Amino acid sequence: MFGRRSVSMMLGLGAVTLLASCGNQDTSDTATTGGSDGAAPAAATQTYTFGVIAKAEQNPVFQAARVGAEAAAKKLSEENDGVTVTINWRTPATEDAQKQAEFVELLTSQGVDGIAISCTDANLLQSSINAAAAGNVPVVTFDSDAPNSDRFAYYGVDDKAAGAKVMQELAAQLEGSGVVAVLSGNPNSANLSARVDGVREEAAKHEGIQIRDVFYAPETAADMAAKMQQVQTSNPDITGWALVGGWPLYTDNALDGIYENAKVVSMDPLPLPLAYVKAGQVQVLVGQPYYGWGYESVMLLFDKVHNGKDPAEVMNYAEFDIVNTDNVDEYAENWNIWDPTSGN
Amino acid sequence: MTKNEIPQPVAAPRSSFVRRLAGAQEAGLVLVIILMGTALTLLGGNKQKQFRIAVPEGASIVEYDASGTESELGTLPLQQITGWRVATGDEKNTYERASGYSFNANQNAFFGRRTVNKFLDSENLVLVAKDASFIAIMAVGMTAVIILAGIDLSVGAIYGLSALLGAMALQKVAGQDAGLFMSLPVGVGVCCLVGLACGAANGLMIVGLRVHPFVITLGTMAAYRGIIFVISGGQSVGNFPQSFTSGFFKAEFAGTYPVPVIVMIIVGVVGMFILAKTVVGRQVYAIGGNETAAKYAGIPVGRVKIIVYSLLGLLAGLSAAVYLGYLGAAEPNAGMTYELKVIAATVIGGASLMGGRGSAIGAVLGAIVIQLIDNGMIILEIDQSYNQIVMGVAIIIAVVIDQAKARLAPKG
Repeated sequence: MFGRRSVSMMLGLGAVTLLASCGNQDTSDTATTGGSDGAAPAAATQTYTFGVIAKAEQNPVFQAARVGAEAAAKKLSEENDGVTVTINWRTPATEDAQKQAEFVELLTSQGVDGIAISCTDANLLQSSINAAAAGNVPVVTFDSDAPNSDRFAYYGVDDKAAGAKVMQELAAQLEGSGVVAVLSGNPNSANLSARVDGVREEAAKHEGIQIRDVFYAPETAADMAAKMQQVQTSNPDITGWALVGGWPLYTDNALDGIYENAKVVSMDPLPLPLAYVKAGQVQVLVGQPYYGWGYESVMLLFDKVHNGKDPAEVMNYAEFDIVNTDNVDEYAENWNIWDPTSGN
Repeated sequence: MTKNEIPQPVAAPRSSFVRRLAGAQEAGLVLVIILMGTALTLLGGNKQKQFRIAVPEGASIVEYDASGTESELGTLPLQQITGWRVATGDEKNTYERASGYSFNANQNAFFGRRTVNKFLDSENLVLVAKDASFIAIMAVGMTAVIILAGIDLSVGAIYGLSALLGAMALQKVAGQDAGLFMSLPVGVGVCCLVGLACGAANGLMIVGLRVHPFVITLGTMAAYRGIIFVISGGQSVGNFPQSFTSGFFKAEFAGTYPVPVIVMIIVGVVGMFILAKTVVGRQVYAIGGNETAAKYAGIPVGRVKIIVYSLLGLLAGLSAAVYLGYLGAAEPNAGMTYELKVIAATVIGGASLMGGRGSAIGAVLGAIVIQLIDNGMIILEIDQSYNQIVMGVAIIIAVVIDQAKARLAPKG
């Protein structure tokens, strides 16, 4: 009466249902209500697991965040007797807010003690962050915030302020006068858009500065470098470049034909872009607290769950790092700690 | 020739057990899922799952230290608190930290912990199925396309565009206070219509221009992504009516959110019925098996192709509607690279890239297998860096097993 296919599917569904009904029976109940009867004895060690969700595995700045988070976990474990802190790192390969939302839900379901997240899209992540907070899993955001969510703190810089800083440094290099091209990546990226807005607003404060245009390209070194060279060739009057991300500097000779004619100020003093500063082809790099994203976020979470303390301020802004020829060697030493594979 | 001389038909030799088992396409996937689930149950271990206890209205709460001395709430540092005592009239309850309790002042509630298996927790199982549902719904449509020996690389872009336009319609037409009878038709309707239109455009160009589907859909993938950027300006769209989100797609049942799973099951069953039991379904298999023979047999090949690509677009739109309802916003990058996951789920589900073979239920199971790999990485706390390696190897193994199974399956 039933085909082979139907029987096998019914057997499969039946097995899964049976397993699921077994799975929800408490294997042990460590908590009771109403009195101390039956309470489990206190554990000798307290273990905290914090989930950390960055935007994209492929972006090296988040590798520094991971190192920071794991360093904080190690330090907290060493400094607090009977406490072990571990990090559960879950980051999509490329920017994907839906995947991040899935990770928030799964980590919450798996019983982590807190979550630190850099939000690819604040609107989309709001409901999953709120659900985590409602489930007694505190959430801190870093790098990119979700201001309307129930996260208890944010650590990072203001993206608009970052763009303004890039333009401020470039204006200083141009002595307040010149034609500027802005280079950006994914036009759909909210934080890049905020940086571009910051560049524009700061440029408007300098009468002698004219923004030629904002130029977009795919976020690969080769595509970005090619775009810069095409634009400079077509617009030889450009005397300044504001890069809201350091993508072209992740390849060699990206600024040939550009550095001879224009000043360049960029975000992201990663190991490869530092070489351009040493060579004098890039005047200033504006840095974010990459290591701090992970380190400070874990510290905030630990303070919340272990000590029951909220930070004095919800918004915890970090200072920008300004890297130029005066301090480039000193800054490069940081990368030996933040990313030991950087070869610095 | 006498009756005794009439040659009697010889019974076909019975296929070996291995061959018959290999022929049961979905049975193999169900077995894989059961084996993966069993491995995760045994290897994943247990977790501490929190449960909430609301403090009754008018209750008084004090905290006490190791000596039993009571203090006003919020007075003692957390590490000095031994527990809390709650008094409501004559009723008194005690919650000890050593028993796993904590107090959340923002919610005025206690949270306790109980031990459950990491994998078999009902919340985890529903999450796995829910996370698979977005890909599975599209994979059912992709199965029909692949059976036709076609391909659609724009499915992720169609998902993104449908989501964006559906979101804008929900925001502007429905408004935040709209009831379900307004928000559901608007949200689902716009998403599905946009998806259907994009799918139909693909089908018409493939048939009308006689260009390979890979080329057409590669082009439309870029075009649809460009349209998303132009319309969205890089901004996500949210603020939907609650009736559409928590009122329907993210409605809670026993601590889980199963509506996307229910939609996935319905789509899988309907897809199975259409492919296996309807004329157009049989036509799809016939075209995929041998397009020339199908044409000479009188099957309207061009019309069937347009219908199939349109249906894939419609299902991408439906998946986008579920995404909007569950997550409450549409981001401009929605669906980026999802075409790869959809194709992977379809192939793992048993569809042959050469055409002529595949099943809707297999595509759903294929999506679940992919999601189980993700879930396993989290449960077993495997380094995230290996995720793509594991996924790529799993897909290759699945295709190799599929091709080996095809060789073992009974012929004729």
